[in-house]
Amino acid sequence: MTKKLTAALLLICLALLPVLSLADGTLNVMNYGEYIDDQVIYDFEKEFGVRINYSTNDTPESMYTKLQTGVSYDVVVTSDYMIDRLIKEKKIRELDKSIVTNLDQLSDGVKNLYFDPDNTYSAPYLWQNVVLCYDTTKIDPAKLEEKGWSILLDPELEGHVFIYDSPRDIFMMALKALGYSANTESRDELTEAYDWLVKMNQTIHPSFVGDEMIDGMAQGEKWLAMMYSGDATYASMENEKLAVWAPLEGTCIAYDNIFIPANAANPELANQFINYVLDYPNSMKITVATCYTSPNEKVIEEVTGPGGEFEGIDSYVPRSGYEKDEIYTDNELLRTETPELLVKVKLQ
Amino acid sequence: MKERRLSKVFSSAYLIVILLFIYLPIGYLVLFSFNEGKSMTNFSGFSLKWYEGMFQNRMMIESITTTLIVAVVATVVSTVVGTVAAIGLSKAKRLVRSIVMEVNNLPVMNPDIVTAIGLMLLFISVKFQLGMVSLILSHISFCTPYVILTVMPKLRQLDDNVAEAALDLGATPFKALTKVIIPQIYPAILSGALIAFSMSLDDFVVSYFNTGAGINTISMYVYSMKRYNLSVNAMSTLIVVTVTVILILVNLIPWIKDKKTKKEEP
Repeated sequence: MTKKLTAALLLICLALLPVLSLADGTLNVMNYGEYIDDQVIYDFEKEFGVRINYSTNDTPESMYTKLQTGVSYDVVVTSDYMIDRLIKEKKIRELDKSIVTNLDQLSDGVKNLYFDPDNTYSAPYLWQNVVLCYDTTKIDPAKLEEKGWSILLDPELEGHVFIYDSPRDIFMMALKALGYSANTESRDELTEAYDWLVKMNQTIHPSFVGDEMIDGMAQGEKWLAMMYSGDATYASMENEKLAVWAPLEGTCIAYDNIFIPANAANPELANQFINYVLDYPNSMKITVATCYTSPNEKVIEEVTGPGGEFEGIDSYVPRSGYEKDEIYTDNELLRTETPELLVKVKLQ
Repeated sequence: MKERRLSKVFSSAYLIVILLFIYLPIGYLVLFSFNEGKSMTNFSGFSLKWYEGMFQNRMMIESITTTLIVAVVATVVSTVVGTVAAIGLSKAKRLVRSIVMEVNNLPVMNPDIVTAIGLMLLFISVKFQLGMVSLILSHISFCTPYVILTVMPKLRQLDDNVAEAALDLGATPFKALTKVIIPQIYPAILSGALIAFSMSLDDFVVSYFNTGAGINTISMYVYSMKRYNLSVNAMSTLIVVTVTVILILVNLIPWIKDKKTKKEEP
């Protein structure tokens, strides 16, 4: 009996082994979870005759921890401020521009960002901004556009607001409402932002939630939500009454870029992979699967044009070139202080 | 009489509430795996598309196989190691035994995150490449103490004379172990193995820090999703169904066997 059981277990293990065996060429890719169209991965494998080991993470910080463990990744997607930090720490390898020729297809607004002025180290993968998404039957667009972020201090909205539970973004909103930079290094400005948020929390009692809000807005549970434009796009496709507005006080634009870590084992293939995902048909698949905005100019034109996947959805194309909009920097004060302050805000 | 009936009503109502509390979330999850829309709160119609999506999603399927391989290998190894250790300990001096048992309790009490980071730092400092092997080793390391803990009490109940009698009657020590001691503690070994298996399946933190490129367990895969998708419900439903079937079989087979033997001996 025991012998049979052991034999059976061994057999199961053996049967499962081929799943693990690696093809000759492998590419270790790390990305956020559900942030690609899987078909793009399979197509690349077929076209280049390699196997992709695909890992996922949920935040730039956990991605950073994974890089620190010494495992060699070939291609990684992460957010702007983390790339800023990695470039400063010399942990990124330069792109081979003779391979990554599809940079030419990208729209000018997403290239040459502050942390990587000539796209020497990274290429944009997807991008978005933080917006107010609202129910046009409940909130007057003219009023919202006039008040901007300060509409969150309006007692009429009590109990009708979702706020995306992310410390840095919530403090960005308060700092912008007060006319400060989202990357402030001043403790006084941060304290003022904290007071603003306490007042907001006491006035409208918002629900601080994660991705549940996408569903919530699509179902019309609340009137207003502070959320990412990609999520607003996803919700707007389900609910026609939704519209978005990026307040004139400015907001944050977030770029998720793709890069090759310094210790990559297979840099040439990595460059080819980056070139591949930037290419028109593949970038198209990725944006349609995720609802986040493509950096590829032709893709943006196509999907927002007549008959396109995102026709008539304003949140799809984030505002670019507006001077009050900012990209996050790797800011130690905000990185360390905002999570704790946000907990205090929620307790007030 | 009346009071008795009232207390009966109350006790069964209590039971129902408890069962609902346990099974409603699972039922909700199963229901939404059949949703036609993308929503997790609004059921718009019946469809199997999330199951289809699950089987087409290679990352998801790979995460399931990884989880199972790790759990099976870790269970087998930690059960063998833990049982042998427990048998050895039961014959050790009392002082040694109590010291080792205390040491064994430490990882059980320790928060997972401490174990996880500790293992990760160890692997990194000895330049051990993180990957499938490190993942399995780390699972073995946190499963083994549970096996020792479950097997130990059963060993204390054993009559030492039985093993000695086997040796007197000419059994080799190894035979005495496999033919006399192990059959007596078999139930404890089995429950130790089951605990190890479920600990390994459940684990998120230790896996998260000790895995390498492209090797994800189910929990890691779900945790790192940027946006939730109902294929996770589909996958969970299949797991629930599998577990239910196994439980039913485990309970039915002895019952059927019993009936058969009763028939054979009139």
